[in-house]
Amino acid sequence: MPGQATWTGGYELPVFPFVPPPELAGGRARRYPIVIAGGGLAGLTLACDLANRGVESVLLDEDDTIGVRGASSRGIVYAQKTLEVFAHLGTYPRIREKGITWSEGKTLAGDDVVYAFNLQSASASEQPPFINLQQFYIEWFLVDRILALGHCDLRWKNRVARVTQADGCVTVAVETPAGAYALEAEWLVDATGVNSSIRQGFGLETHSSRIVDRWCITDVRFRERFPTERWTWVEAPFNENRAVWQHLMGDDVWRLDYQMAPDCDPEYVSRREVAEERLRAHLGDIEFELVWVGPYAYRDHLLDDFRLGRVFFIGDAAHVVSPFGARGGNSGIQDAYNLGWKLALAAKRAAPQALLDTYSAERQPAARQNLEVTSRTSRFLAPQSPAERCLRNAVLGLAREHAFARTLVNTGRMSIGNPYPDSPAVTGAGWSLPNVPIALPDGARSTLVALAQAVGTAFVGILVAPASGGDIAGFAQLEAAGLPFRFFVCGPGGIGDPEGKLKAVLKAESGSFALIRPDLYLAALVPNAAPAQAEACLRKALCL
Amino acid sequence: MTTDPNIPDPDGFYAALVAAHEGLTAAQSAELNARLVFLLANQVGSQGILLDCVAAARQPFGAPPGAG
Repeated sequence: MPGQATWTGGYELPVFPFVPPPELAGGRARRYPIVIAGGGLAGLTLACDLANRGVESVLLDEDDTIGVRGASSRGIVYAQKTLEVFAHLGTYPRIREKGITWSEGKTLAGDDVVYAFNLQSASASEQPPFINLQQFYIEWFLVDRILALGHCDLRWKNRVARVTQADGCVTVAVETPAGAYALEAEWLVDATGVNSSIRQGFGLETHSSRIVDRWCITDVRFRERFPTERWTWVEAPFNENRAVWQHLMGDDVWRLDYQMAPDCDPEYVSRREVAEERLRAHLGDIEFELVWVGPYAYRDHLLDDFRLGRVFFIGDAAHVVSPFGARGGNSGIQDAYNLGWKLALAAKRAAPQALLDTYSAERQPAARQNLEVTSRTSRFLAPQSPAERCLRNAVLGLAREHAFARTLVNTGRMSIGNPYPDSPAVTGAGWSLPNVPIALPDGARSTLVALAQAVGTAFVGILVAPASGGDIAGFAQLEAAGLPFRFFVCGPGGIGDPEGKLKAVLKAESGSFALIRPDLYLAALVPNAAPAQAEACLRKALCL
Repeated sequence: MTTDPNIPDPDGFYAALVAAHEGLTAAQSAELNARLVFLLANQVGSQGILLDCVAAARQPFGAPPGAG
């Protein structure tokens, strides 16, 4: 008698009400400073980031729920930089409570563990390396947070039909159940995803390619307890020696991801009875509940420029990669976090429009890097010739015996806060700062993210107290220059570095001045700094 | 990349390599060579030298499609 299998076929998702917009209630078309199209991970993160900065936006979403109705949870792994973003936006406590915190993983080939890793030991952040959670929960918490913060006009069942731009504004034609209307935006952010009709309407080249890699996602619940670790089989005997992923997410649901033959029939492999047979081959004769099954063909694309006039492209609308290393959703969230403070400063007229050009200058190379990294993983997991398979066999064999070869086993290089190249705004810095612990001047324990939240949309300048002398008053006077800037000394009478992690992540020594952006990237690091140098760095980072 | 002689006992190394392939099928020999490549690569420890060696090994066959 096989264990009992049940089929629940999806999740219960919230429904948000359609409210006829003011344009359809007799009002004339007005111009909004920032309009966001698309309420997925990237669009909602941006709306939440702007709301958290007290900046008004309108968000248009074609649906009236989060996730894909009755369908898969899509992205499940949220990496440290993302979790730090959500700590800043205020949704992190709910994510930590609902999600599965993990840092250990095993890579297997056949019946052998090729190697095991634990990423916690190398982490300086208050947030863990990863939390797994169904994507719709992440989006749900963002919606709740946006509603609590205010400042964002969330318009459900508002589908963008057409976008045109001329004379310093973008005109957006919108369709709703109550009729069609148009609105004008100073800036439009396209977060409508991989098949963006906005991007297609502009005819932008996406350099897309289809990869001959097909997977079948299986979300399943069962009674047996398995370790809360990420297990990746490069060659799984129970899946015709193709790859398999196994990890836990919220609600005791496991994500089992099976690599399929390139020529498989997607409809066949996702049939309930076929999925059940695969599960039994994997897990043996146990009782389980299938939550969701769906085929997935990998693809990728990358826009040359993430900005076209007054339209910005974020998330999947701008770039798509294979999901290895969780570099899809996480990078869309980082896009939003990069653009949010820049739009906020531009909307407040506190920075020139040139600052907005740095969004594409930083995030397009990040996406290009993610594409290169994920393409290499894809290639390792799907050898395309006998010679390539021979190379991989050699690596797997050596990895069982020798530590050096484990570095060659590539089951995904996990998402990071991508470092940014030198640009007119940032030179010799551009790395993401983990959310390290700090002490406030009164001795209270705090964090870098909490400091960023406390200062609002401003740069944070930190002078590591020089051994003697130093024009501390001169640095402090920069706060009076009318620029978005707050100054702190790290040392006696200023903020403290109780665990030494702040100076370590800044790579700062006594007398160094570090300039931290509102997205917690380092804008500049000046050794033995004088106030005039600090001011020059700040003006440069603001594109003044 | 060194192309001047640097193997202390060339004949001895060649003999050991030939001996290591004794009795293997073509597929096993290919895997042995691949294992050897990775083991040697880890001794070199310089990305520039490794990439120069890959290019030099490919040289008789022309550049890979899509390269450059």
